[in-house]
Amino acid sequence: MAGSLGVGPARKEREAQGASEHARGVVARAEEVFLGRDPGLCSEIPDRTLEKMNCEMGGHQVKVFGRAIHALARISEELWLDPTERGLALRSVNSCRSAYASVLFPTSFFQLYQWSATLQICDSNMPLHLKCKLGMKSVLPIFRCLNILERNVEKCSIFTSANTCRVIFQLFCKHGIIKTHNLSFQESEPLQAVFAKNMCPNILKVQSRLLADIMIHFPLSQEEITLAVTPMKVCFKSYIEDEIDFAKCMYTEMHLDPDEFDYFQIGVDTEVTFCLKELRGLLAFSEATIAPVSIYFDLSGKPVAFSIDEMVLEATFVLATLADVQSSRSSPSSLCLSQRLKRSDLMKSKADAGDDLTNTEKESSTVRAASKRPSRHERQLDATELESFYVPAVKRLDTHIAEATENYQVYSKFCSLFFGAVSPKQHDFNHPWINLATVSDSEEDVSNGPLSQVF
Amino acid sequence: MPLSTQAEDGNDQYILVASLDNVRNLSNILKAIHFKDHATCFATTNGIKVTVENAKCLQANAFIQAGIFQEFVVQEESVTFRINLTVLLDCLTIFGSAPLPGASTALRMCYQGYGYPLTLFLEEGGVVTVCKINTQEPEDTLDFDFCSTNVINKIILQSEGLREAFAELDMTSEVLQITMSPEKPYFRLSTFGNSGSSHLDYPKDSDLMEAFHCNQTQTNRYKISLLKPSTKALALSCKVSIRTDNRGFLSLQYMIKNEDGQICFVEYYCCPDEDVSDSEP
Repeated sequence: MAGSLGVGPARKEREAQGASEHARGVVARAEEVFLGRDPGLCSEIPDRTLEKMNCEMGGHQVKVFGRAIHALARISEELWLDPTERGLALRSVNSCRSAYASVLFPTSFFQLYQWSATLQICDSNMPLHLKCKLGMKSVLPIFRCLNILERNVEKCSIFTSANTCRVIFQLFCKHGIIKTHNLSFQESEPLQAVFAKNMCPNILKVQSRLLADIMIHFPLSQEEITLAVTPMKVCFKSYIEDEIDFAKCMYTEMHLDPDEFDYFQIGVDTEVTFCLKELRGLLAFSEATIAPVSIYFDLSGKPVAFSIDEMVLEATFVLATLADVQSSRSSPSSLCLSQRLKRSDLMKSKADAGDDLTNTEKESSTVRAASKRPSRHERQLDATELESFYVPAVKRLDTHIAEATENYQVYSKFCSLFFGAVSPKQHDFNHPWINLATVSDSEEDVSNGPLSQVF
Repeated sequence: MPLSTQAEDGNDQYILVASLDNVRNLSNILKAIHFKDHATCFATTNGIKVTVENAKCLQANAFIQAGIFQEFVVQEESVTFRINLTVLLDCLTIFGSAPLPGASTALRMCYQGYGYPLTLFLEEGGVVTVCKINTQEPEDTLDFDFCSTNVINKIILQSEGLREAFAELDMTSEVLQITMSPEKPYFRLSTFGNSGSSHLDYPKDSDLMEAFHCNQTQTNRYKISLLKPSTKALALSCKVSIRTDNRGFLSLQYMIKNEDGQICFVEYYCCPDEDVSDSEP
C-alpha cells in the first residue's frame, strides 16, 4: 500500500525533516551526527540499491552470532551492523559513551559473504557505506534463546533489501519453517572508539575461564572493580565509593601471580577502575570460545580494552576507567600529554581499507564525549552533559584524539572514550562551544576548502 | 474413604455431582482458558463445558467430557452457572499445583442448584478441604455460528511447531495476520511491530503438518492481545487444528492429553480485526 505511493513523499518528508533540523539548536545538531541523519547527506542519496550486504551462516555460527548480540546488548540499546571488506562488524556504544564494543566476524565465518560499497556518483564522490543502526530491542528477540536456535536453525541469512531501509534476518529452521524478520534500520554512521592498543604499557593475556572464575567472586550488585598491577602481582578488588557505609558492603580482593597469565607485560604500576557489567557481557561471550582475553590498559582515567582475537572472530570491548582525581591534580600536565595518542589500530586498518576503494581524502571527525561520574544520583545530571559533545570540523588524513583539558571536579569521574566515525564522512558544524579540545597538528587547513562544498 | 461416605447420604439434594481421582485433570484444562476472572459452566450428561469470553470477540471453551470423571451425575437436562474462575482454580490447587510422585488430590464437586454455592471437597493424604464458591447469575455467551460446512481452510499442526512461534510473537504488533493458501506461502503468521515486520512460513509438506486442506487464499488479521492467551492451551496440547470460515472467523482447537492419557479439547474462536486501511479509499 505504502509502496504504491512511491519514493516521492518519503523523500519530501526527509527533506522536511532536514529543514527542521536546520532550525533546531546546535545541541540537537551535535546529536544528529551520532544518529547520522546529516540533513545535507540524506537528501543527496538518490538510490539506496547501491548498498548491499548479503551473508549466510550455518546453525552453529548462528549461536556464536547470537551470543555476540547478547554481549553487545549489555552495552547499549543500539546496534550497528557494519559490513566491511574484512567481514561483518557489530558495534555498540552505550548512551553515556563510557563503554564501546565491537565484534568482527571475518568473511570466513560465513558460508556466503557479499558486500559492496559502491561509489556514489555525486559531488562528494565518496564511498557509500551501509550505515545501519538497529534497535537492540528488535534484534535481541530474534536471537533470544540460543540453545533453541542452535537446535532448530539450519541456516541464517542476513541481507539488506533494495531501496527500503530494512535489514532482513531470515532463519531457515527445522521442519521447513522459515522465519523472516524485516527490521527497519536508521541510517547512522557507526562509531568507533579511538583506542591504541599498541600504545598501552600494560598488557595481560589470560584464559577467559580464569577471568570468569575471578569475576564470579564479586557480588552481582558490585558495579565497579579495580584492577591494580605491579610487575610482581595482579590484584582485582571491589571498588567502593567513599560515601558508602562500610558496614553494609562487602569488600573482595583477589591476587594473582604473573604465572597465571599467558602473557604478562607491566610497564607502569597502575590501578584502573571500570564497570563490571560490560565485562560480564564479554565473559559470557568468551566462555564459549577457548580463546584467551587480552587486557590493555594504562594509567587510571584512560580506557581499558578487553579483546578476544580468534580465527572465527575478533571482539574488542573498551571501557572507560575512573579518573584518579588526586593524581591528576598533582600531575595534570603529564596526563594531558599522555592522552595525546596518535591513531588507533582499528582506525588505521579501516582507513586503509577505504584507501583501496577510493583515493579521495579521508575525513574523520573526533568526538569528545562527555564525562561520566559514577555516583548514582549524579547520572541524571550527566545526561545533560552528554549534549555537550564537542565535534570539531576537522578534516585531515589522520585521526587525532582531541586533547582534553582536565575538568576538575569534586568527585572522581570516569574519563570519556573518544569516538571517531568509522567510515570517512564529512561533517560540518557551527559550534559555539568553547574549545574543550585542541588538535595537535595543522593539516586541517589543507582540506578545509572542499569541505565547504557540502553545505 | 471419607469422601464417599460423607457424600453418600446427601447425593439427592445435588443437581450436579462430579468426582475425580486426580484434580489436575480438571485444573490443568481450566488453566488453558484462564485469561479472565469469570467463566460460565454448562453441565449436561455428556460432561462440562466451561466458557470464558473477552471483548465480545474471543471465546474459549474447555470441554471436560463425562468420561474424565469417575462419577458424573446431572439430575436436570442442563445445569448452568457463572463462577469466578480464579477462585475456582485457587481452590482446585489448594494442595499445590505441581505434581507430586505418588500423591494426587481427589475431588468431589457438588452443586445444589440456582442460588447455591459450588461445593468442592478436596482430599489428599487423608486431609479434606471443603470449599464453597458462590455462583453467579449465568450470562448469555456469544454464538460464533462457526459451522464446519462454511470452513474454507483447515490445517492440523503438531503443537510443537506453533509453540515457539507463539512464545516469540512480537507483542508490539497490534495484530497477528494469518495467511492460509493452497499456494505459497501456504501457512504464514505475520506481525507488524515497532521494529518491523516478521513472517513465519510453514511449508505444506512440513513433517509438523498433519493435515493441509486449503481451498482458497485467505489473509485475516486478529488482535494479538486476544490470541496471546491461547498460548496456555497451546502449551498443554499435542495437536492444534486451525480453521477459518467464509467470514474470516478463526477457530483454534487444541487436543490436550491429560495425565491419564485421556483426550480433552479446548477451543478458541476469534473474530477477525476489521481492516481499517482496506475500507479507506
